[in-house]
Amino acid sequence: MTLTMEGVLALAPDEASAKAARGLTSPAKWPLLGADDAAVWGECQGSGSKPYQTQVDLRGPAFRCSCPSRKFPCKHGLALLMLRAQDASRFNSGEPPAWVAEWLASRGERAQKKEERDQKAADRAADRAAQLADGVDPAQAASALADPDGAARREAQRWRRIEDAASELQRWLGDQIGRGLGALDDAAIRGWRTMAARMVDAQAPGLGQRISAAADGWRAGADWPERMLSRLGQLQLACEAISRRAALPAAAQADLRTLCGWPLDQAEVLATGERLSDRWTVIGVIVEERDARLNERRVWLQGERSSRRAWLLDHTHGGRGFEGLWLPGSSKDLTLVFYPGGAPLRALVADETPSTAPASTEGATGLAQQAWSAEWERVAQRIAAHPFASLHPVVLSNATPVASDAGPHLTAEGRAVPLRLGDEDWWSLMAVSGAHPLEVMGEWDGVRLSPLTAWAPGSARPLWTRSAA
Amino acid sequence: MSAWMPLLPIAMVGTERQPGPLPEWPGEIGQLASQAALAGDGPANEVLRAMAVIAACEAAGLQDRAWTAAPPEPAAADRLPVVPDGQGGHLRSLLRWALNEAPTRLQQQLFADLAAAGLRLPETLLPQALELGRRSVALRALLLPVLGERGLWLARQREEWRYAAGVGGDALEDSQWTDGTLEQRRAFLARERAADASAGRARLEAALPELPAKERADLASQLAIGLSLGDEALLDRLRADRSREVRDVALGLLLRLPGAAHPRRAIDRLAPLVRGERVLLRQHWVLDAPAAAGSDWAADQLIAERPQQEKLGERGWWLFQLARQVPLAWWTETTGMTPAELLGWARKTDWSEALQRGWFDVLGATREIDWCEAFLDHAFGDLGAGIESHRAAQVLGWLPQARRERYWLRHLQQGTLPLSALIAAASGGETLGPQLSQALTGQLLTRARAGTLKDDYTVRAMLADFGAVVHPDCLLAYGSIADQRAAGETAAYADMLQAVVQTAALRRALIALQLDPTPRTP
Repeated sequence: MTLTMEGVLALAPDEASAKAARGLTSPAKWPLLGADDAAVWGECQGSGSKPYQTQVDLRGPAFRCSCPSRKFPCKHGLALLMLRAQDASRFNSGEPPAWVAEWLASRGERAQKKEERDQKAADRAADRAAQLADGVDPAQAASALADPDGAARREAQRWRRIEDAASELQRWLGDQIGRGLGALDDAAIRGWRTMAARMVDAQAPGLGQRISAAADGWRAGADWPERMLSRLGQLQLACEAISRRAALPAAAQADLRTLCGWPLDQAEVLATGERLSDRWTVIGVIVEERDARLNERRVWLQGERSSRRAWLLDHTHGGRGFEGLWLPGSSKDLTLVFYPGGAPLRALVADETPSTAPASTEGATGLAQQAWSAEWERVAQRIAAHPFASLHPVVLSNATPVASDAGPHLTAEGRAVPLRLGDEDWWSLMAVSGAHPLEVMGEWDGVRLSPLTAWAPGSARPLWTRSAA
Repeated sequence: MSAWMPLLPIAMVGTERQPGPLPEWPGEIGQLASQAALAGDGPANEVLRAMAVIAACEAAGLQDRAWTAAPPEPAAADRLPVVPDGQGGHLRSLLRWALNEAPTRLQQQLFADLAAAGLRLPETLLPQALELGRRSVALRALLLPVLGERGLWLARQREEWRYAAGVGGDALEDSQWTDGTLEQRRAFLARERAADASAGRARLEAALPELPAKERADLASQLAIGLSLGDEALLDRLRADRSREVRDVALGLLLRLPGAAHPRRAIDRLAPLVRGERVLLRQHWVLDAPAAAGSDWAADQLIAERPQQEKLGERGWWLFQLARQVPLAWWTETTGMTPAELLGWARKTDWSEALQRGWFDVLGATREIDWCEAFLDHAFGDLGAGIESHRAAQVLGWLPQARRERYWLRHLQQGTLPLSALIAAASGGETLGPQLSQALTGQLLTRARAGTLKDDYTVRAMLADFGAVVHPDCLLAYGSIADQRAAGETAAYADMLQAVVQTAALRRALIALQLDPTPRTP
């Protein structure tokens, strides 16, 4: 990987860590600095008598440090990479010391074990698929495989629970429309929250979330009845779909499963999902705090040859940083594996080994310009295939940011989309644009666009990226 | 109109009370909705099934909307090139740090350095920079040249940043005078005095009756800009002002108008008391104090009655008052002595204190460099405590910085003033000369090596401020202060050292930009 200051800063779990790390970039603080192709290591003099041993496996990058910090990566790891980015000549090349070599070896071992585990899961999934293709009843197929973990049985059980919950939800929806939304009051909304909790109990937290979201929208904004009807309409669609799940194509079943908040096993996705090798360009990255200590990262990619889009979804808990470096505008040769679905978008990276070509912005020509209508067509197609999709990557060409009484917008040729953007980000977007058109990638939720990245027309290097949340 | 509108009456009231027919939607989607509803089980379910169709179709159809407002005026192309990226964005991250965290003096320095290099700020830093200027008026003048066309355009887009907008011409806006704060009015008056002294005077004169004493004194002192005999009449009236502060300002300015009537009268009163006598072959000057107060004194702010707490005797008090109205140049021209010789001579007369105090007061208004230096070299003893060192500090403050540094250096070398006092005095002003920079940096380094810098809370708190004014040749040494890490240093101290590193790196990078001879394109 090629290191830049910006890239390293992007790995910091928060601003305080980045600042603390900058404070450690004086070489005087590091009595030992070393590096080889695979890793960087160093000893940092902390407040204790023994220096901290800090090491970074560049393949992740993955961090390890002997300091007691609960931040991940800690300031020492970040500072080490910053030093490396600033002045590689300060690092001694040579054999890594034992504490580095051991760690690297154990990482290799772990990776190998994980691979074996994944392989087993993949074999099982393949067997099952083969038997399905032979026309064997799935339940029989599962039992025929002796199903050592009881996985298939548990799966069938969970679907039954969800189906029961869906019929309960169906009756509940009927009650709401029977009584009318005008009759809603605080007590009724509390009932909605109870209903959401029941969905969670029935192992369909995804449905619960959608009920909660509908409850949150009660009396929010002048058009809340319309928004609420739309949300209830989607829940109705979900109930209908769940009730006739068995008759739906496999892709739609997979989407239903995601809708219910029941993720597919990554190993199974890796084993059975659609694979696509391409040069993938990062067109947008966003890290958002979900719950108190849960962070979500969404990375949006676009394939150079396939023009396909993909998103990588990661979560971390408790202030840990995310593995891997996804800088907007950079490209990598990767094989992605798509989650199954009507309009596959979410993907996993299949080959963890870095390609020989470094991540770079060199040689890339930027995104192809196209009319806004083509982007909306893409969104429409995706929803047609997967009506529950709620977040769409959209790239708007020739888009000029404009402030208006109705808030910030992107405009082009007599059309406009309202934006969802914090003040600071909005003014920096304005500053880079100067009311000149840009290429803007953002997440479209049907109401507003959250811009993530902006380019000057025809340029591969982003002019602007949304600041970390 | 939203697709939900026809359904709202039923959905809001509820199908229990209004089971009535479902609305019809046009087109294929309408047909699909009706079809779906047909299969429904009861009125509520029919509505829900139609909703499911509309919800999915609406989501697929949501997109941009028509926009009729005129497109905004785009920013003009910039003539100035933007700050280069430098070392993988290192320079820009330093600039970002400086705008966020550095002391004001370093921010001023960086704006000035960028302007000198003919560069403008990168677009992404413009919001931060404009925000800084909004909060600190002191930064604005330096910030404007590095905003570039893009920055000026951006300033026009936001009410809070308007201060930077429309600054193409340096036009004076009357509203700054009529509605501005004292600071803005002072700046306004200063600019008007520089452009048209008599217009500025007339404006001040018209405003005087309604101003409180403090503001009268403050604004009247702006008459120093473009001071001429044309201002004499106004100053003559101001020296009779009911506020002593205003009177002092007026008298001080009159001292700088040797042709004016007031100082001429003062000279006429004093001249007979200074006589040249020839003893053997040498000219010898004799000084006498007035024997009685003149009847015309009161009109010229000379007070006959000695104040009770006054240390001088009555005649000494009179002489002191006469002396403080006479320009210092009269003494050197009349006696042919240098300021230093005059100070020596005064000490030998009977009226030493009266004279020195009179001269000191005049110097406070006129600040002649040779007199300041004579005072510093000859009038004050070894600068112990008390009134003398206080006055010495005042005189130092009257010197231009380059001349001042010699004295700071002396104090530093002789250890007569603590390092903290010198660093405090030197920081925040102009860039220091190489000698003083070297000496101060040397002392800081010595303390850092000895591990005592971290415990000197006054000095360490000023490290970053000092870095903003240290001479460019000393930046390397200044930055190396941070290499001296002390055992048991706190996080706060490490932060300060980091600011030292960043300050040194930023200033060196900025200087390198100015030296860079390669042509740049915007």
